[in-house]
Amino acid sequence: MGVRVTNGRALLAAVMGLGVAVSAQAGEYPDIGPLPALKVDAAKAELGKRLFFDKRLSGDAGIACSTCHAPENGFGSKEALSPGYPGNGNFRNAPSVINTAYKKVWLHDGRIGTDLNDVTREMITEDYIMNMDMRIMQERLKQDPVYVEMFKAAGKNEPSNGGARSMIPEYLKSLTSRNAPFDSGKLSASAKSGMALFKDKAGCIQCHNGPLLSDQKPHNTGVPENLDVFLDPMNHQAFVAFTMFQGIPNYMALKRDPGYLNITLDPKDMGKFITPSLRELKYTAPYMHNGTLNTLAEVVEFYNQGGGKDRNKSPLLKPLQLSKAEKKDLVAFLEALSGDQLTSDQYVWKGEYPAEYPAIDNWTQVRN
Amino acid sequence: MRKMKFAPTLVAAAVSTVLLAGCNAQASKQEAATMAPVGKAMLAKSEQAAFAPLAPLGPPPQAADNLTTPDKAELGKLLFFDPRVGGDASTGCSTCHEPEQGWAWAEDFSRGYPGTVHWRNSQTIINSAYYPRLFWAGSASSLEKQAKSAATGGVAGNGESDIMEARLALIPEYRKRFKDVFGDEWPLIENVWRAIAAYETTLVQRDTPLDKYLQGDKAALSAEQVRGKALFEGKAGCIQCHNGAMASDMDYHNIGVPANKRWEEDGLAQITFRYEQYAKGQTEEGYRTAKSDWGFYYRSKNKWDKGKFRTPSLRYTAHTAPYMHNGILYTLEDVVEFYNRGGFDEEGRTTQFAENKSKLIKPLGLTDQEKADLVAFLESFSGDPITTEKPALPEYAPLFTRAELEAAQEAK
Ligand code: HEC
Ligand code: HEC
Ligand code: HEC
Ligand code: HEC
Repeated sequence: MGVRVTNGRALLAAVMGLGVAVSAQAGEYPDIGPLPALKVDAAKAELGKRLFFDKRLSGDAGIACSTCHAPENGFGSKEALSPGYPGNGNFRNAPSVINTAYKKVWLHDGRIGTDLNDVTREMITEDYIMNMDMRIMQERLKQDPVYVEMFKAAGKNEPSNGGARSMIPEYLKSLTSRNAPFDSGKLSASAKSGMALFKDKAGCIQCHNGPLLSDQKPHNTGVPENLDVFLDPMNHQAFVAFTMFQGIPNYMALKRDPGYLNITLDPKDMGKFITPSLRELKYTAPYMHNGTLNTLAEVVEFYNQGGGKDRNKSPLLKPLQLSKAEKKDLVAFLEALSGDQLTSDQYVWKGEYPAEYPAIDNWTQVRN
Repeated sequence: MRKMKFAPTLVAAAVSTVLLAGCNAQASKQEAATMAPVGKAMLAKSEQAAFAPLAPLGPPPQAADNLTTPDKAELGKLLFFDPRVGGDASTGCSTCHEPEQGWAWAEDFSRGYPGTVHWRNSQTIINSAYYPRLFWAGSASSLEKQAKSAATGGVAGNGESDIMEARLALIPEYRKRFKDVFGDEWPLIENVWRAIAAYETTLVQRDTPLDKYLQGDKAALSAEQVRGKALFEGKAGCIQCHNGAMASDMDYHNIGVPANKRWEEDGLAQITFRYEQYAKGQTEEGYRTAKSDWGFYYRSKNKWDKGKFRTPSLRYTAHTAPYMHNGILYTLEDVVEFYNRGGFDEEGRTTQFAENKSKLIKPLGLTDQEKADLVAFLESFSGDPITTEKPALPEYAPLFTRAELEAAQEAK
């Protein structure tokens, strides 16, 4: 279930660019650049990988993390609105989890500001995501001899739900950008011009800064609602369950995603979303929290017009008057922020899962 | 909270006033007379006084704060048959309480939520309204609380209140009915449980051959059944626990039912077994060592309650095989053999907690004829199967029109 971060201010204070202090001077932002390497424990990550692709982690064993965070879609979903747990729809786009290990705040509305262990728990237990009673999950893992071995290799006595929740984040640490032209300094001339626009005329850097190209703060950019959230009752029910649980006043009457208001319940935060990273966009269309923009060209055009329509829209967004060539350059730069697809065995569990759980031998004699 | 008209510990007087209400007074007097001589041989005086005679079933008790009305029961019926009252909209009440299978599930362990198997036998809904406490070990104190725990339990409905409430809000027919019945602006989940409980009070059977017999229709039982009744109340001693109008003392006993061997052979069942230890708040040591269902212990945490279960009613059992909390006995004949052996199965297995086994359970020395008579009598606790037409389920509809949504977008 959702975890409300009750103190919005405390959350924001905690959210600083990756070790790069934000300059107090207006107009200066943490520089964009390569991400620092992460140390990954191989045995734990391998175990986390098997868990990430295992449908048995959901209540009815119907979907895995990878159902919504698919390797071939940059570990996001190609649908505007994410799939839901069977019997449910969803109301937001499933974001890429590549580079998510670098973040300090997660989910489109930023409602988790602790760690990926908590995000993983949210994913597993949320009723329209995986709807799993983690006590059953633990017992399923204990029933699979491969997991029993892998947990030992990862330094744990036996599979447990806490253990599973720490292995998945370790695996997520292995999902990072690889060989993006931006990182390797191999930018085309067009991408180079695009980078200059990004930092200057187009003003993208005001929000998309630091190595993740995200300030990890909430802004209202006026992205239009995806009406399918409300027109399809399967999606709407997930939305209602979510806003009900989060305690949003008058949730049955809501006709828009409240975004960051969910955390502060302050009307001025209505429609704000956390600035996403701009890495790996090549694979993660459609874009925005609700998948309403289909291509990067559409995104650039959206910004060129000064963003969407919203009374609360960020004053940082204004029409940009970009030429056709400038728009192309900007797209070229955005594309240069994507590296190799992470679809090899190194990132994807390709082994089979057993169709049935073998019985534990000598059951009456061994300890559970 | 549901207020039952009788306390869980059975007091003969209270039961006869409530459950016999409306029945033929003369018949019950006769019953008391036929009962008197029986158990005597086997039982101490004090115990004899403790049980009520078998009696015709009166109207079901009603919760003072949830009286059954036709509209409420009809809403409850829709909800009972609607799998959207559950996690993935596949598994509703009727999924495991299938009318064609005795309003239960005809396997030893009930089917579970998809991806799981249950660890206990599915109980019939018929006459559940008469129990002061529900479930095999009596863990729920009202039908309303029972329904909630069934719909949300990990191996049963696995639903969360918020998503179930959200679904109902988007089904116009439910909005209307909850408003009419409960005055809800939007359907409230607590009222789902109330409506289902109300429906369950209509799922009763009060006209079995035995009811008719006890009301004075002496032709309602065959000669064989009448002999079986005498055994039930005498030599076989069943009446000591299966007494009163429900044929249950509503108390908890360990009668020697051994563990279901499926736990030794079936990986899916082993998963649920351990989960239940976890979910029922076992100690670490209990979780590690439990190899059978500890029953009433999970509630009381007293070691002498290990392996005790609520005495189930014998009503409707002709339609609810297999039997016992873990479904290990497949026919009523098997049940009678089990008791005749003194609470042992055909392989000589009994409860893991022999120290808790009821002193009332001992070899009975029944002849083949007596066993057949007893089985024939057990069948008189059941009338014809209760059937119902499965309701057409109301459909979802979007709450807002596209025009309303576009106007809201414009106003942003
Ligand atoms: C049914 C689809 C679905 C499944 C299954 C799913 N997710 Fe997600 N995931 C989403 C959606 C949708 C979001 C965005 C939710 C929001 O913003 O409210 C998300 C967000 C995330 C995020 C936050 C990313 C960020 O950068 O903010 C992480 C991390 C994540 N999921 C990991 C997982 C893991 C690990 C699993 C498996 C245990 C999993 N997800 C299973 C749909 C899914
Ligand atoms: C005021 C801060 C701000 C500025 C300035 C800004 N963005 Fe964004 N950007 C955001 C936020 C917030 C989102 C997420 C909005 C949502 O999901 O509704 C976003 C989303 C995006 C996305 C979609 C990413 C995804 O994974 O869905 C792209 C691409 C993007 N911005 C590119 C740009 C470019 C290019 C510029 C400059 C022309 C720019 N942004 C300027 C805040 C900003
Ligand atoms: C996955 C199968 C399953 C589903 C779904 C299910 N039940 Fe049950 N039901 C069972 C089993 C098994 C038991 C016995 C469980 C125990 O004692 O722990 C039971 C017990 C009961 C009892 C107790 C009867 C008695 O004699 O004490 C009632 C009443 C009942 N269920 C009603 C419901 C209702 C109402 C729903 C829907 C909200 C429901 N059930 C959903 C399997 C199921
Ligand atoms: C000591 C009390 C006691 C006595 C005496 C007793 N029973 Fe039972 N009976 C129970 C209990 C308790 C259960 C449930 C046990 C379990 O599930 O482990 C039960 C279960 C049953 C069931 C299965 C019902 C179902 O729905 O699965 C039948 C049938 C039955 N008894 C018949 C009899 C008959 C016939 C006799 C006499 C030969 C008898 N009982 C004597 C307490 C008793």
